[in-house]
Amino acid sequence: MTALLAVAAVTLGTLGLGAWGVRFVRTTSDLLVASRAVSAWWNAAAISGEYLSAASFLGIAGLELAVGASALWQALGFTAGYLALLLFVAAPLRRFGSYTIPDFAEARLRSPGLRLLAAATVLVIDGFYLLPQLKGAGLALGVVTGASYWVGVAVVAAIVAINVAIGGMRGITYVQAFQFWVKLTAISLPVIVLLIHFGGLPGRATLFGSQLPRAGAHGLAVRLNAPQRVVFPAAGSLLVAGRVVRVRAGGQLTLPRGLVRLPPHGIVPVAGGQGILAAAGARWSEPVAGSGQAAPLLVYSLLIATFLGTMGLPHILVRFYTNPDGHAARRTTVRVLTLLGLFYVFPGFYGALGRVLTPQLYLTGQTDDVVLRVPGAAWPGPVGAGLGALVAAGAFAAFLSTSSGLLVSMAGTISHDVWPRLSRQRAAGVAIRRRRFRLAAAGAMVIPALLALAAQRIDIAILVGWAFAIAASTFCPMFLLGIWWTRLTARGASAGMLAGMLLATSMIFAGLVLGEPASPVGALLAQPAVVSVPVAFVVMVAVSLAQRTVPDATPEMLALHAPEGLGLRLAEGEGEGLGEEPRAPSIVATAPAWRREDR
Amino acid sequence: MSSGRPHRTWRLRTPREELADATAHGLLYLRRLRRAQLTLSVMALVAFGALFGVLPITLFLLPRLGRTSLLGIPLTLWLLFVPTLPVFILIGWLYARRADALDEAFRDLVER
Repeated sequence: MTALLAVAAVTLGTLGLGAWGVRFVRTTSDLLVASRAVSAWWNAAAISGEYLSAASFLGIAGLELAVGASALWQALGFTAGYLALLLFVAAPLRRFGSYTIPDFAEARLRSPGLRLLAAATVLVIDGFYLLPQLKGAGLALGVVTGASYWVGVAVVAAIVAINVAIGGMRGITYVQAFQFWVKLTAISLPVIVLLIHFGGLPGRATLFGSQLPRAGAHGLAVRLNAPQRVVFPAAGSLLVAGRVVRVRAGGQLTLPRGLVRLPPHGIVPVAGGQGILAAAGARWSEPVAGSGQAAPLLVYSLLIATFLGTMGLPHILVRFYTNPDGHAARRTTVRVLTLLGLFYVFPGFYGALGRVLTPQLYLTGQTDDVVLRVPGAAWPGPVGAGLGALVAAGAFAAFLSTSSGLLVSMAGTISHDVWPRLSRQRAAGVAIRRRRFRLAAAGAMVIPALLALAAQRIDIAILVGWAFAIAASTFCPMFLLGIWWTRLTARGASAGMLAGMLLATSMIFAGLVLGEPASPVGALLAQPAVVSVPVAFVVMVAVSLAQRTVPDATPEMLALHAPEGLGLRLAEGEGEGLGEEPRAPSIVATAPAWRREDR
Repeated sequence: MSSGRPHRTWRLRTPREELADATAHGLLYLRRLRRAQLTLSVMALVAFGALFGVLPITLFLLPRLGRTSLLGIPLTLWLLFVPTLPVFILIGWLYARRADALDEAFRDLVER
């Protein structure tokens, strides 16, 4: 009940701030990038708030519970991605002054065709990213209210679609900053209170994997809503339908729906077919190992995907245009690194604590619930309920903020890049453009919501990993080469993005069809970045070099790299005419009465 | 504003005018800035690779680390979080300072 109230409070707070933001919305450019007037700390909190999604809040701990400490690389990769963004993209991209990735692709390479390809890629990445958010929402609402999975998915999808359609991004900048602090408090406070309460970490032997997860001193009772196939990692027994069943190590069993009891200190069986390993010893506690998820090749593939994929996340990049200039973009990014570094210390504790406090999740297979269940398991009573409510509110903040950002990005891409091209009516008025944005916001939610209903069994962290892998294989090479290499051509960029996209998605789907990977090469299918990123780069460079004539990139390079305030870059206002004819950036020589305006 | 620039043809052209007109000299200044920024970014990336990028393979080659523990937590898990996150922030902060300084130097050159 407390949890439901906390979730309702966060949701109403989000809607309220969104509605408050509407009062400031005057033009479409307000709606899309909040007029570029937000301070560096606000912006950093907003970027972090938008970024910390269901994957960070629930997924890392869930995957850690399922496969062991190798899941923790994800937390580091998610943070390090901002370092890559800072080093190669943040300042030049802000200086270039286009709003979205399709804008950038078209303006840098002077190709309207590339804009459409980039727009399609944006929709794929955002869609892949939106799916696990909705999955997390379905799970969380289920834990809080006992409602069915689909109810949570539908409710959050509707709330986010309405909020984005009426508020746009002006409201959301403050909402996102607010939500970052909600999330940081929600994930850190229960851990800190727990460590004080237990005087350290409880049950270390199980916690760090020298023992398998076991039922508590009073046994364990689990109610199953559906039949569940389980595997016993060691010999054990359980009481099902009034009968004691003994199972040898490695034995399998299908449990009927209803109540299942484990004896005191009994071995906990593990749900089959979902890639969960109740591994003990080094296999659980070592971040890198000889085989499985923790093989060095897979760890590096994951790190490449997150390190390079962050710069290709459309909903994050659009936020960099709310920095007033390139210098501010750098400053904001360093602050983002600090805020994320604070946050990512905490999720790992939940996965480890879950082994001791919530071993029933191994049996039910719902490892993604672990963050939501740990506080209640640690303190049966009002303290646990209170902290559980806090965590649920934080999780909701995570879904709401990330899905809002994703939906703004998708709706912007549809209404700004795809729609005008289809309708061939370029000079649409402000009212028409705003109506398109709102319709697109409602429409773009439908497909990810339907897919989320189908993807209930796939780990949140895995789903988000795909979005990163695709971003790293498409937009990352386009940005790195487009910003730093004058020889890149539109044909080269298109070919490279297509190659990266096709390779990454086909590997992911092949992995889905083939099921549980048996070999390291098979496991690579779920973690394609180490193959698809180099291929995308090579194709992009090779096709560009094969072209004899290269358009002169001098104006673009000037716009990307010359500091502001010299009158050498895009004039303010240029490139802001949404839905207008594209034009290459032009250099504007300054008037004699020019002064430094940015001091 | 409307009076324009008097005696423009009689004085030396400033680097800013060179740039605005995209002359050979102006482009040289810009290319130099771009190269300097790229070198700085690549140096920061190399530092990141040397400090963090080698961590997975080090942990793989030294499994002994996992059997040692500090305050009841395996040493590997300490190594994973305690030095890494501050190193990211430090590299980012140092890089941003140097990059801003390069921009500033370019600004001074052009405004001379």
